[in-house]
Amino acid sequence: MVGLVLVSHSARIAEGLRDMVGQVAGGDTPVTIAGGTEDGRLGTSAPLISSAIRAAREAGADDVLILLDLGSAILSLEVALEELDPAERSRVRISDAPLVEGAVLAAVQASIGASLDEVAEAAAGAATMTKVQAA
Amino acid sequence: MPEVSFVVLDPSGLHGRPAARFVQVASRFESAVMLRTGERSANAKSMLALLSLAVKPRSEITITADGGDADEALAALAAELGETVVPTEGGIPVVPAEGGSPTPP
Repeated sequence: MVGLVLVSHSARIAEGLRDMVGQVAGGDTPVTIAGGTEDGRLGTSAPLISSAIRAAREAGADDVLILLDLGSAILSLEVALEELDPAERSRVRISDAPLVEGAVLAAVQASIGASLDEVAEAAAGAATMTKVQAA
Repeated sequence: MPEVSFVVLDPSGLHGRPAARFVQVASRFESAVMLRTGERSANAKSMLALLSLAVKPRSEITITADGGDADEALAALAAELGETVVPTEGGIPVVPAEGGSPTPP
């Protein structure tokens, strides 16, 4: 099963999105979060991201798709990924998708038992998603 | 190819949790499942495609299934939609038979 790790500069964004994703896709998909810094400020933290990846695995995720809110999170993310051994690292993918839409689409895809490739592809589709229909 | 049509009653249309459930149920079947509304149609196994259809309340949707388990897929999807939709025939809402569910046999 594929799990999601949601990385945001804000703990509250991450928590709120986790709730929303759980409600839309149902509770079977492991979704863990790394929001803000360890001392509760806005920012990202490599240790928090590492624990979120571990927590996703413990919740039953064989593979993990990571989604992030802003590009600056990639620095902490890379540090966190360096801690993983190569076998683990190969089962983790970083998505370039917009965080909210990507997380919803990925969670639904993961909930039907899709592969990491399929879940990543579903998330990537969020980049072209139309929210406001032409009248 | 079997198909069933409904009018959507849910005031939010087909979004969020109901759309996700639709995708989850459709994905249990081998058959290709499409959802059509007006001139547009979408792969019912794709959340992105379903959300992009932006199905509005009061609009008519037609679900088609193509494959060995097409009838089972349509029955399961109709059951999933439940009371959020009313079956239609030729664009006219059908009152379910007494004691029966709106799902096709």
